[in-house]
Amino acid sequence: MTDWAVRVDDVSKKFRLYHERNQSLKSAILRGKTSEHEDFWALRNVSFDVAEGATHGLIGANGSGKSTLLKCLAKIYWPTSGDISYRGKMASLLEVGSGFHLELSGRENIYLNGSILGMSRKQIDSRFDEIVDFSGVEKFLDQPVKNYSSGMYVRLGFSIAINVDPDILVVDEVLSVGDEDFQRKSFDKFRDLKKAGKTVIIVTHAMSVVKDLCDTATWLRSGSVVQVGQADAVVDAYLDSVGT
Amino acid sequence: MSYVSEIWASRELLQNLTNREVRGKYRRTALGQLWSLANPIAAILIYTFIFSFIFRLPAQVGDPSGLNNYALWLVCGLLPWLFFNRVLSLGTDALVSNAGLIQKVYFPRIVLPLALANATFFTWILEMAVLVIALSLLGSFVLPWLPLVALFMVVFALFSVGLAMVFSIINVYFRDLAYLLTIVLQFWFYLTPILYPVELVVTQSDQLGGLIGTPVTLIDVYSLNPVLGFIEIFRNLLYDNRMPEATTVVIALGWTVGALGAGVLAYARKEKQLAELL
Repeated sequence: MTDWAVRVDDVSKKFRLYHERNQSLKSAILRGKTSEHEDFWALRNVSFDVAEGATHGLIGANGSGKSTLLKCLAKIYWPTSGDISYRGKMASLLEVGSGFHLELSGRENIYLNGSILGMSRKQIDSRFDEIVDFSGVEKFLDQPVKNYSSGMYVRLGFSIAINVDPDILVVDEVLSVGDEDFQRKSFDKFRDLKKAGKTVIIVTHAMSVVKDLCDTATWLRSGSVVQVGQADAVVDAYLDSVGT
Repeated sequence: MSYVSEIWASRELLQNLTNREVRGKYRRTALGQLWSLANPIAAILIYTFIFSFIFRLPAQVGDPSGLNNYALWLVCGLLPWLFFNRVLSLGTDALVSNAGLIQKVYFPRIVLPLALANATFFTWILEMAVLVIALSLLGSFVLPWLPLVALFMVVFALFSVGLAMVFSIINVYFRDLAYLLTIVLQFWFYLTPILYPVELVVTQSDQLGGLIGTPVTLIDVYSLNPVLGFIEIFRNLLYDNRMPEATTVVIALGWTVGALGAGVLAYARKEKQLAELL
């Protein structure tokens, strides 16, 4: 096996389930405490490596902790214990068009969204044409984004995100944006990323996507790892367990 | 230190978010940025009518500028206050109103209040530019003082944003704060010598003597207000055309370091939990 690009080392994540959450001053003062809660472990001792240049799928039923893990990978949540290390620059794509300002034009939003995703102005300048090309909204580039159709909106958001050009890309189920044609383009883009030696971690419910795109996969159930390994084997095992 | 370098690394993001605020705000309005001057102008007209014409406050003569104009005297204190007010009320909401963004993308969260403060600062510069022109036309020789005015504008902005940063974190835990703040800011406004000269408070304080049998006087308590010093500094520079007192400056700087330190510390400690708390 080659070197790892992402190492998830014994990661656990605890959430507090609030029976009563007092987000007001009155209740905090009256009761002398801010909340009553019990702990819920969304992730328990999760460990796996993702090899450099590999595309890795995270699979599991709803509520298995995939999204929590993805958010930990994206540095949005911080593990309660354990560590996640990266070799290279990481970017995440959990939602398309994060931080778009509706009154601003497509052009302005490319710069705004690009810098939120961690691109420098120079990088955006150099990739601007590619972003516009890929999104197919060049005619409407100077229109405010609020006049965009929902398809145009997500296509623009996706095009920016896919052009961030990180070493490691963490992606939520955003492959399902746009029409057939755009989806095919997105898949091709992911294959290009793979060819370029980028590491991709992807969460999805579409097992065909995992089999098609991923080299390796991790199967999660109730916050724990069930199986890590070659994508085909893990998907088959998962499908078997669901079928029975 | 690594935290500071991370903030430095996000300066382009800060600039873009600032642009978002500035450009997005007055989109599709005919007057655009001029609207930001409407509020201060309305306030000046109302307060001048009430306090200078109806209540006949004692004349405020600038020393050594010789200016005698209540409206100008008022504005020199009112514009900093309006800036402070906006930074605090917008900044307190900075995290809660950007919850969607915080839960989807990683970036140093501190840029959110900073971007708001930047955008507000931009508006303040416009207002101050108009004030400087008015002062010059009406006989204040304000130009040599402008570098110091600019310096203290930055200092006051740092103080304001530091406080707003602390409040924005508290507001994540207690959403009441945003509502409470509007009331607090009202009290705060009238308890700061913006509409009236501080000498009137001194007179009252002297008549009262020590409060409840202690040597502490009314003016001692009144002077605890950190904004008071800043207002005095701006009036000294703009209206009187003289150097502010050293003690006033030192106290103002102290408050600034304290507020900014508390703000940065609050973010450094809480930032990683924000996505969950929102």
